[in-house]
Order: sequence, then C-alpha cells, then structure tokens
Amino acid sequence: MTAAPEDDPRLGAVIRPAARRFAEVVCPPEMRADRRTEQVLHEFGLMLGALPPAARKALSTALILIDQGARVYPRSRGRRFARLDDRTAEAYIRALLGRRDAAAEMVQRLKCVVTMCYYDLPEVQREIGYDPVPYIAAVSRRRLETYGPQIRAGEAAMGLPEPGEP
Amino acid sequence: MSAPSGLTSQAEITGDLKLECGVVVVGSGAGGATVAAELAAAGVDVIVLEEGGYHPTGSFTAEAGRALRTLYRDGGGGMAIGRPSVLFAEGRCVGGSTVVNGGMSWRTPTAVLDRWAEQEGVLAISEKDLDPYFARVEALLSVGLQDPETIGRDSELLAAGADAMGWNIVPNRRNQLHCAGTNSCTTGCPTGAKRSMLVTSVPRALSRGARLFADCRVDRVTRSGAAVTGVTGHVVRPGGRKGPAIAVRARAVIVAGGAIQTPALLLRSGLRSASGQLGRNLSLHPNAMVTAFFDEDVTGWHGVHQAFQIREFAAEGLLLTAVNLTPTMLAAILPAYGRELGALMADYNRIVTAGPLVTDTGTGRVRNVPGVGPQVFYSLAERDAARVVRGVELTAEALFAAGARRVLLPFAGAPEVRSPGELRRLLTHPVPRRSLQLYSIHLMGTARMSEDPGRGVTDSFGEFHGAGGLFVTDASLFPGPVGINPMETVVALALRNARRLIERRDRLGF
Repeated sequence: MTAAPEDDPRLGAVIRPAARRFAEVVCPPEMRADRRTEQVLHEFGLMLGALPPAARKALSTALILIDQGARVYPRSRGRRFARLDDRTAEAYIRALLGRRDAAAEMVQRLKCVVTMCYYDLPEVQREIGYDPVPYIAAVSRRRLETYGPQIRAGEAAMGLPEPGEP
Repeated sequence: MSAPSGLTSQAEITGDLKLECGVVVVGSGAGGATVAAELAAAGVDVIVLEEGGYHPTGSFTAEAGRALRTLYRDGGGGMAIGRPSVLFAEGRCVGGSTVVNGGMSWRTPTAVLDRWAEQEGVLAISEKDLDPYFARVEALLSVGLQDPETIGRDSELLAAGADAMGWNIVPNRRNQLHCAGTNSCTTGCPTGAKRSMLVTSVPRALSRGARLFADCRVDRVTRSGAAVTGVTGHVVRPGGRKGPAIAVRARAVIVAGGAIQTPALLLRSGLRSASGQLGRNLSLHPNAMVTAFFDEDVTGWHGVHQAFQIREFAAEGLLLTAVNLTPTMLAAILPAYGRELGALMADYNRIVTAGPLVTDTGTGRVRNVPGVGPQVFYSLAERDAARVVRGVELTAEALFAAGARRVLLPFAGAPEVRSPGELRRLLTHPVPRRSLQLYSIHLMGTARMSEDPGRGVTDSFGEFHGAGGLFVTDASLFPGPVGINPMETVVALALRNARRLIERRDRLGF
C-alpha cells in the first residue's frame, strides 16, 4: 500500500476572492488570458494543505489582512483588495512589498507560494521550454541500454548477505 | 504498486497498535535506515517508525509541487526565524531527506574530525577510525563520479567560468548507480539510480526482518525512571489528520528524525541534557542563489543536479556549485512578479542558477512552542553574512567569466547586474544582513556528541547522557558544521554506532 492521495483542497469563501486577486497580480497576465486561475487556486489550496497548521493559518490570515487592509490604502477609495481594479491592486501590492517589514515579508511569502503554483502547471512549463517527461524517458532508456548489466548487478548486490552477516 | 514485505502504511492500520521489539528506530532517513539495517542484519528485532508516507520509485515524477507536498515536511517551507530568516527543507517520507537531497557523498574533512575530537573529546572519530565505515558507505550506496554524458550545460558553464578564473574545481562524488541525469534529485529519482535509503538500506532492513510503519508520528519517548521504555505516537491520516494510537515497547530507542525533529521529540518527551545543549548549537550551511542569464541555450535540466564543486575557497568556508531549479522553484526565488516575472521566466532555458554554501559560525536553536510545535530560531553571524556576500560575488564573477549577460543577486532590492564592474561597484556598499535571501538543506548539531556531559547531549557513540537505552543517530550529533554535504558523515556514524550497539547488545538487553 502506498501513501494516500492528496486531499481535495477547498479554499474558504472568505479567502478565495483575495487569493484569486492576489494571483492575478503576482502571476504573469497570461494566467488570466489562458483561463488558468482556477488551476492556480487549486494548486494553492493543495500547498496550503501541506503546510503546518500555524503556517496555514498565518498565510490565510495574511490574505484576509491584505484584502481588508486595502480599504485604508489611499487609492482604494475604501474598497477591499478583491474589488480593486488591476492598476490599483498592483500598486497596493507594490506598496506592501516596499515596506520591508513583517507585512512585506508575509506578502513576499505568499507571492512565492502563488507563483510556484502557477509555474507548476505543466502547460505553463511547456511554454517556457520545460518538458521533462520525454527527456526523462529518453535518458532513462539510454541508462539501461548503456549500463544495464552493471545496474542489474548493483541492484542484485543489495539483497546479498555481507561478510559476517548471520 | 505494492509495498515490500514488512512495510505497513496508514491505510492498513485500522485500530490502535501495541507493539514490542528489541530496538525502535524513529525515522527512516540516512541515520535511521542505516542503523535499522545493521541491527536487523545482526538478528535484532527492529521496528522503524516513519512519519512520512511510502512513495516508491515508480511514483516519482518531475512535478515539483506534488513532490513538495508529499515528500517534504511542511511542503518544503520550513523557516528558521531570524534577521534574515532562512528557508529550509526537510524530507518526510520513507527514506527521509535522502529521497530528496542532491545525492552528494563526501567523506568528512579530516580537519573537521580532528576538531570534533579535540574540542568535544569525541572518541574513535579520527580519519583512520572512520575510513572503514566510509569505504562501506561508498560500497553500499555506490558512491562515485558521474558518467560524462550526464553532465549538464549549467554545470559546464560554471566550471568553465571557474576555470577561466584559475580556480580549483572538483567533480562531485555522488551516491548513484549510473545516474541517468534526469535532474530530478529533489523530486525523487524516477529511475532509482540515486541510491537513497528508499532503495538501499530500507529494503535491506526489511529483507533482514525489520518492520517499518510509514505514516506513524512519534509523539513521546517513554521512560521508567532514567531508562527509556519505548515510544508512543499516532498514525497520520491523509491531510495530516490524527489516526489510531501507537505504542511500542523496546529495550532501546534510537532517534533519527534529523536536526529539527530529533531535539523537538526529546524535549517534548521531557528529556533534558545537563549541558543545556539539547536543541541548541544548530548549524545550517546557509546557501544563496545567483541567477545568471546567458545568450546561449543552457537547458540546465538536461543533466545531473550538481556535477561540480568549486573548492578554491574551501579554506574560507565557501563551496560554490550550480544547482538547476525547476520552474516551480525558480519562480519562488526570483525577485519579480506579474509581467516582469513572466519576462524573466521566458528565459528559463538560458538561465544558470548557482551559489555558495557557507560553513557557518553562528548557531540557532530548536524550541517547542505551545500550540505551534517545533520552531527554529537562527542568528546569522556578521562574519557569516560577509561570507555569504563574498560567495555570491565569487559565483557571479565565475558566471560572468563563463559568458553571463546579466545576473540577479540574492539580496532584496538589489538591481540587476550586467558586468563584473557593476558587480564590484554595487558591492562597495555594504549589503544589509537582513536583505540576504538564504535557504538551507543541511541542518546539524542540535544534540551534539561530546564525552563531557557538561558540553554535549550524547556520548561519542550517540548514547544520550543520563537516559539509559536512548540513542541519537542523525546530523544532530555533529558538534559543528561539517562544511560539506553531510549525508556520508551521517551514514558512516550510523554504521559505527550500530556496530557499537551490536557489541553491547547483551548489556542493553536486545
């Protein structure tokens, strides 16, 4: 029996709009153009689920604070982050990152996780020239063709008793 | 994919478990799997408890996100809190960090062994003492040089740059059986060529009668008076949910959870070291990453993870190496977002990522924070910060010498640099320590060995001072930073300490 499959991630209704807006700001514009936002949010949910409870809570809380904190951002005219237009949302995130304090560090951490989720999508990877599956298949085949007997001997040696073993 | 005989995963455990054995081993990484295999081969009744899941070679893909979530603790996002904080990663799966490390196998430098002997009075630790163990590690794990066709262009470029600078470069010794060069070391080797514990000591232990329980987290080491009696814990269900309870009674407990989890487990079990060093003395070999852009196609993922090390500055505590990152990982470290990030990533196949590994002099601490769990605190020493900056400068110089057109430095807010002259001008200004962007995969020293109970947590062979039948066998034992990739040292010490246990098994009662 191997490890269980990953849980299906569900971003809560409170953080989902903020996460969506955040992804739209920090990921390249192609994310929206190519309708990949849902996939990124799915990955983001999976990543949040992998974090320890304290970190998960910290990032979720950070998203809520980013969302509600926008209300006091001068250019937001009282709107939450999820409701800001593209230009204002981008300016707001840039302002947060420029603060170089704990808030900036949290935004930076969120940016890391969300952009990781975007560049983890196989179609995005292929677009930038990263397509490891055929490469791995080819070099794995080459390995077996070139070194097959040595590999089989090495593998077999693992099961043999060593000198002095009862 | 069926699990090997002797390995039990969470889905097969439906109720509370009460088990007995001679020795229970906590963790199945470099230290735990090795000692388990040695003891099982000597006829000892061994149970291994591993918090992570069993993921066989056939399940490995190049999907970095999935690997982070399934093979690493906390999605690979550990954080040593400090100014700056240091991101760190620990493996959490059957085979431990050896499943996701870069596969470098180097003997402990003689000067380091001598220092451990001199400063901590560690016995049987000289080069001569350890030579037979290193030789055995290298045989067990098939340690050797890469086949030439697997060297990637990113490694060649860094080596060419270092060569142009007249620097000493060495090919990496790696635990691999004709590595195919898939560049998948950190997501699990899809061919099994990397000789991690998953494909070496774990099957060896199982075939010699050890029992391994995956998805089983140990909460406490149990004691009766001064002697340990076993461990208690619980099954980890999908999503981290708590499953049935586990209790193992054993004559000896060997803790091998790595330099963060080992002290955390011992501390929450109420164990204390008279030296006060349990959980302290953490070293982590800070790394920083330079991102260089070339005109030529590099396609750094076509080739082995790390082929060379620049050793020219080893005396300064600096090793430089090229490390190809998947797009998933690279996106996380690039200092850009939105359209700008997209523009940088569009050049993915013309990028070389490389950087220094620093032998640190500062130390950190592991503490259990109520309601949160183990937390790591680390203070980067001024001297080490200066060495990080120097290592970054040297790496960037080598990359420019190899033809890089521009480089991004791991200093928050630093501008892009387009020439060695610009680099030198930039670095005439001090780099604020808190702006350094650091990460670590080498965590060491939090249960250091010393013959003096007033200085160390364990004796020279990993036995906890003041708790009969309790042993530590992982990088926690190191009295200080090893200055090189630590896996071979961990395995060699595990072999040595296992031999000592076997010699004393009658007295220990297993």
